[in-house]
Amino acid sequence: MSEKAKSIASKKDFNQDERLKKVSNLKILLNRPELGAVGGAILVFIFFGIVAGDTGMFSAYGALNFLDVSANLGIIAIAAAMLMIGGEFDLSIGSMIGFAGICIAIPAIYWGWPLWISIIFAFAMAVLVGYFNGILVVKTGLPSFIVTLAMLFILRGATLAITRLITGRTQVPGLRVLIENDPIAWMFATDTFKWLFTWLGSMNLIALRTDGTPLATGIPPSVIWFIAITLFATWILMKTRYGNWIFASGGDKTGATNVGVPVGRVKISLFIGTAMAATLFATIQVLDAGSADTMRGNLKELEAIAAAVVGGCLLTGGYGSAIGAAFGALIFGTVSMGIFYTDVDTDWFKVFLGAMMLIAVVFNNYIRKKVTENK
Amino acid sequence: MKTIYKSILAFVAWVMLSVSAFAVDVIVVSHGQANDPFWSVAKNGVDTGCKDMGISCKYTAPATFDMVEMAKLIDNAVSQKPKGIVITLPDAAALGKSVKAAIAAGIPVISMNSGSDDFASLGISAHVGQTEFEAGVGGGEKMKAAGGKKALCVNHEVGNVALDRRCAGFKKGFGGSVDILGTSNDPTEIQSAVAAKLNGGYDTILTLGAGLAGEAALKALKSAGKVGDIRLGTFDMSPGMLKAAAAGEVEFLIDQQQYLQGYLPIAIFGQYMRYGTMPAGVVMTGPGFVTPDNAAKVIKWAAQGYR
Amino acid sequence: MSEYLIEFNNISKYFGKVIALKDVTMKLKKGEIMCLLGDNGAGKSTLIKTLAGVHKPDEGEIIIEGKKTVFDSPKDALDMGIGTVYQDLALVSLMSVTRNFFMGREPLKGIPLFKTFDMEKADKIAAEKMGQIGIDVRDPSQAVGTMSGGERQCLAISRAIYFGAKVLVLDEPTSALGVHQASMVLKYVVKAASEGLAVILITHNVHHAYPVGNSFTVLNRGKSLGTFNKKDISREELLSMMAGGEELKKLEVELKEMDRLAKI
Repeated sequence: MSEKAKSIASKKDFNQDERLKKVSNLKILLNRPELGAVGGAILVFIFFGIVAGDTGMFSAYGALNFLDVSANLGIIAIAAAMLMIGGEFDLSIGSMIGFAGICIAIPAIYWGWPLWISIIFAFAMAVLVGYFNGILVVKTGLPSFIVTLAMLFILRGATLAITRLITGRTQVPGLRVLIENDPIAWMFATDTFKWLFTWLGSMNLIALRTDGTPLATGIPPSVIWFIAITLFATWILMKTRYGNWIFASGGDKTGATNVGVPVGRVKISLFIGTAMAATLFATIQVLDAGSADTMRGNLKELEAIAAAVVGGCLLTGGYGSAIGAAFGALIFGTVSMGIFYTDVDTDWFKVFLGAMMLIAVVFNNYIRKKVTENK
Repeated sequence: MKTIYKSILAFVAWVMLSVSAFAVDVIVVSHGQANDPFWSVAKNGVDTGCKDMGISCKYTAPATFDMVEMAKLIDNAVSQKPKGIVITLPDAAALGKSVKAAIAAGIPVISMNSGSDDFASLGISAHVGQTEFEAGVGGGEKMKAAGGKKALCVNHEVGNVALDRRCAGFKKGFGGSVDILGTSNDPTEIQSAVAAKLNGGYDTILTLGAGLAGEAALKALKSAGKVGDIRLGTFDMSPGMLKAAAAGEVEFLIDQQQYLQGYLPIAIFGQYMRYGTMPAGVVMTGPGFVTPDNAAKVIKWAAQGYR
Repeated sequence: MSEYLIEFNNISKYFGKVIALKDVTMKLKKGEIMCLLGDNGAGKSTLIKTLAGVHKPDEGEIIIEGKKTVFDSPKDALDMGIGTVYQDLALVSLMSVTRNFFMGREPLKGIPLFKTFDMEKADKIAAEKMGQIGIDVRDPSQAVGTMSGGERQCLAISRAIYFGAKVLVLDEPTSALGVHQASMVLKYVVKAASEGLAVILITHNVHHAYPVGNSFTVLNRGKSLGTFNKKDISREELLSMMAGGEELKKLEVELKEMDRLAKI
């Protein structure tokens, strides 16, 4: 053994290397993929705080509103981010949302199925669609962009055709009454922490209705699911072997296969993930609106991908973060609702979304270069 | 890299300085986008109303026909605590929760354009618009007065409750025999479907949409040389049909006068804010009839965005 | 027990009409470094892929520790102790040293169903193993992209050895490296061999191969021109055996002739 190797191997504890302390905490922070999204979110809040601070945007009722939008987007953004880290795209998420909504509504209203069975049916269909997407991509080696673009059309068309065939129209209403005694539906449709808001209302800290009850009744179910999914996704990516496989599959597909990572299985499971996230989104929405509509979810996959990119995910795969995507969704949700509190024309929101994506990609590219050229 | 950061910050600062947000008296949440030719007329009504009443208003709409987003916008509006909210009500089931929350928060709501059946059950104070059945009745009576005995009602979206009602009302007002022709919403298909019926002994044709069905039916009549033999009337307006009316080729256009649908709710709220007055029930803005007599003037106002 | 750790006997591989390999024989003992030389297009990458289990030979047999073996997949080859380090290294530059080191074979801890990646243990082992090669990884969670080419090469080799390679197959390990980095890698190769591994070093650079090799096999257009012990052959002879050597000699003669004609 060389002299140098001997001296290093004899160091008792590698953590006591004095050079480690010189890498400042700030530098570690700058290397994290979430940085851009967190920074962006803070900026957005400061912006709207100054511009629209007293309009009611940050009242309890107003805040829950944009948090609800952010949370719903966040659910699909996190799934899209994990898939992107794994090296693939899913453009069929939006169509899956519409399809899942119909899978819940038609059996429940037209075939007389109990609501909870319809919901399970929708999730089962999601597994099938996700598996189909994944198998196609893995077996044919075609870019997932193309495969899922085809599914985007197939699913949306099927949704429209099947709905019109069975119902003669493009909407299926009447679901609200079914929620009440259903064993599962409450999980997707109930506000939580109601006691907190009642208490805040009694202390006159938040706005009240004419009958004395608080205007904001509770935390919407989307927010709870969103937080749970963010934590779960982060745990998977950072702490599990499967998470390492996701990074590896996206970072170097052939290399990963060569060292024994089951890249095919990983990718298929990620596609199932995006389809199920779309179904969760659809379930929450359908139960909230009390109806399903064939056009729901249109173009949502683009927003999900934008949020993931803003959150630090590289389009080429192998790098990114679920928390980043969560903050990306928060940014878009806040801005999309916040614009309505100002006198800015709402068409500018699309300009904002595109510009944010560009800025995020430039920023992420810069960060990535810094991360890989420290030496 | 530094210059990019600096320019971004400068841009953000500029945006912050130029964007403003004030408390608004009346917020309008509509399902019709402001850049749509039909809805821009309604928005002009809103703007004129606000100026006339001396109050501040805001017109908002979701980017696409999305009831979920529209419900969010109503919630948005409620959080801004305006003096009144004006909405369209194309889907009472989806929007009901948000509307009820607005009313529970003590904000009065007026509906316009759609929802004449459901507004009362949600606690909405009044509805401003044209009820489909009654408009159909008006059209039917006019065609009857012109001497019609056998009519064809062209429905390009069977199952759309509003459209179905138009034909039903027309049948009641017309008195004679009325057949319903269901088509797709493809103009070529509508034209051929109508053309196929032209030898069926009809003397009257009513279409339920001007730009789509009306113009297609007119084309069918023209190529068969039956303009004038068969009387054509339509719901709603389009530049092509307006021109045809001015040329005497169309009996009438049923104008729901969406300018009033935008103006009147604002006027109502303006007076409500002063003296607490509120009409009860439905305030009908239509059917207004555009005939060869007044078509020229309507064309002028349509170009200005008021009809 | 055969004296050879691995034998590659009369291997042929065809792709349709193309003869990629014809009748190639190589035998290695424990601790032997065999350099596989040949110019581009000689068939080296086909040979590696056959060794690594990516291709199945059309003729011939592979014998490991005296037993005839057939690889059905790269995983089979891995399990039998063939550690292949390809040119692209199978390293993801955006991922940390630890995550790369344990890619596909992550250590787990915790309760069943909720097993997590044991990052502390992995960090410690990765830093230790790199230290043994002489690479001081300050922070094993730093991205591999921050390491130099030579360090990355050593990381890939160290990974193969840690996970039980008995035979190391290195595909052009020094081709993209500068002199200093190349010597770092070659030193490590020698160390690995001294600990009992057999090494097949594929390269087209005789100057890198000659100092460290015990034996040399030259491939030319899919055929083996023979295997030679270091004491039986010189660097120049090896060079001239590779196609390049012949071409260069011809070029030298032509240049001398042109020179002579110019002077007239």
